[in-house]
Amino acid sequence: MYYLGVDVGSVSTDLVLIDESSNVVEKIYLRTKGNPIKAIQEGFNILRNEYEDYEITAAGATGSGRMIASTIIGADAVKNEITAHATAALEIDNDVRTIIEIGGQDSKIIIINNGVVCDFAMNTVCAAGTGSFLDRQAERLEIPIEEFGDYALRANTSVRIAGRCAVFAESDMIHKQQMGYNHSEIIRGLCDALVRNYLNNIGKGKTIIPKILFQGGVAANKGIKKAFENQLGFEVFVPENHSMMGAIGAAIIAKERVKKTGETNFRGLDLAKSSIVTKSFECEGCPNQCEVVKIYENNNVMGYFGDRCTKWSNRTRENSKLA
Amino acid sequence: MKVGIPKGLLYYKYHPFLITFFNELGAEVIVSDDTNKKILDEGVKYCVDDACMPVKIFHGHVASIIDNCELIVIPRIMQLWKNEYICPKFCGLPEMVINSIDNMPKAITDPIYATSKKKLYSWAKLAGKSLNKNNSTIKKAFNHALTAQRNHLEGIYDQGYELNIALTGHAYNIYDNYSNMNLVRKLNDLGIGVITAEFTQEHILRAEASNLYKRPFWTFTRENYGFAVNAAKEKSVDGIIYISSFNCGLDSIIIELIKNTVPSFPFLILKVDEHTGEAGINTRIEAFADMLERRASDENNISTHG
Repeated sequence: MYYLGVDVGSVSTDLVLIDESSNVVEKIYLRTKGNPIKAIQEGFNILRNEYEDYEITAAGATGSGRMIASTIIGADAVKNEITAHATAALEIDNDVRTIIEIGGQDSKIIIINNGVVCDFAMNTVCAAGTGSFLDRQAERLEIPIEEFGDYALRANTSVRIAGRCAVFAESDMIHKQQMGYNHSEIIRGLCDALVRNYLNNIGKGKTIIPKILFQGGVAANKGIKKAFENQLGFEVFVPENHSMMGAIGAAIIAKERVKKTGETNFRGLDLAKSSIVTKSFECEGCPNQCEVVKIYENNNVMGYFGDRCTKWSNRTRENSKLA
Repeated sequence: MKVGIPKGLLYYKYHPFLITFFNELGAEVIVSDDTNKKILDEGVKYCVDDACMPVKIFHGHVASIIDNCELIVIPRIMQLWKNEYICPKFCGLPEMVINSIDNMPKAITDPIYATSKKKLYSWAKLAGKSLNKNNSTIKKAFNHALTAQRNHLEGIYDQGYELNIALTGHAYNIYDNYSNMNLVRKLNDLGIGVITAEFTQEHILRAEASNLYKRPFWTFTRENYGFAVNAAKEKSVDGIIYISSFNCGLDSIIIELIKNTVPSFPFLILKVDEHTGEAGINTRIEAFADMLERRASDENNISTHG
């Protein structure tokens, strides 16, 4: 029996299957590329070759695209990323006290006490220091993002880069580059700046106690890990499945939910073959003029999102009750 | 005469006074609609770029009613309590609006010092004169308006929830359900009750604020700080949520003061701006709800063993 977790983030869509003891038996990392539905279908297409629907007995969704994911896959549990990440971290390591998570557009700190989340913080409206910014800089310097961390480790000195704002950081990086610093030094400077900004902004006022786990896509960047260790003075651990932790958490939560309810809502891997189309319209029901998204599967309406008054999204709930 | 009242900023606190006063003067009062997309868009279009979102929304409310009224009220609120001030944007609000929006009708912009009945009345006299009313009519309208304000109890005090939070921040963020994305309803749906500052007595707010190293300069600081810290100390709630507009200078200080005084109490800061995508705010409040729930059950576990 396997349990499916789907984490639809701003940059990547991750799917995992875990077994009864929460071991990861399958993991799929895909770029969301602005189309979460297509990414999920792509993932299901890969799973279809190896697994049958009856083997998957629960499904959970998390990430900023969790609502859309939950509707199309028929999730048993829909959880926010904080709870999902903490659940996964506690599953692999009971001693964890601090979780640093940096994803595509969000960064978070989660403080754990007695095995329970006792405090957390997320970045505010600014995405400086998150994966999408690093991606952009890697592209600008024409360095594959996978090698970004190695470049940082090669530098002997760190160049000071303004880290508060992605726009400031970029202009600072360009100025330093025009002064003749090499890529390695600038990238190391950038890693230091991002970590400084993270600790100052998200970590402000929080007591960071080891053991520290570093999760999310950015944890693959050795330069950032090293910068954290230098600035915190503690060892920072990156779990093997660091980029999958949200999905693993969602799968664990779904597993627990289905154990209680005894049945799953999972709609099956054939979703990969369905034709799923979204249409958006501006609701004229009131002056709010919400942008409502309507999802069709093979010409049948699956659900609605985006309305403030829930006039439309309530129909989604009714639909899923009927199904 | 048609008098327009924009539904923005401290309208949420003082609407009974404003509406009653102008009604009693015999005016036809036109209040703008609840904030909506069009009002926000117009506000962003007209307002100076670096103002906070509530000020921009106020501009949108003004723009939405100027064609329907002959006189518009732009409250220039200077002071609500003696020796305290409110955000400077309120002092300059009429200038910001009048210089940004074309075809403005005549506006009532006289400064409001609401530190005593007498001082507030001097505003009422000037406002009444704009409608060519005599002193006795103004006096009567003023007294009715004060009674209406006193009889009106604003605030949220949910009952019957397992978990409760103190919701703090400026009134225009708490009560404008468009800009806060229906925060109170969302919290209620998650099984969390909401309590706001209006139910904490003035002398308690003052007593808490008097523990600060310096008397707060701003009325909002004293109220929000006093309420949040008192709720945490009394444990009358399970957590605090502070809803704040992006780049609000006062909030940046109040939030730090609260964190410093009650560092280990669950505290969530929600920053709102022009966003209409709700994923960010949903993630934060859902995670906060999960945390409060687990903390509550964790504490219960300890107490049964201890």
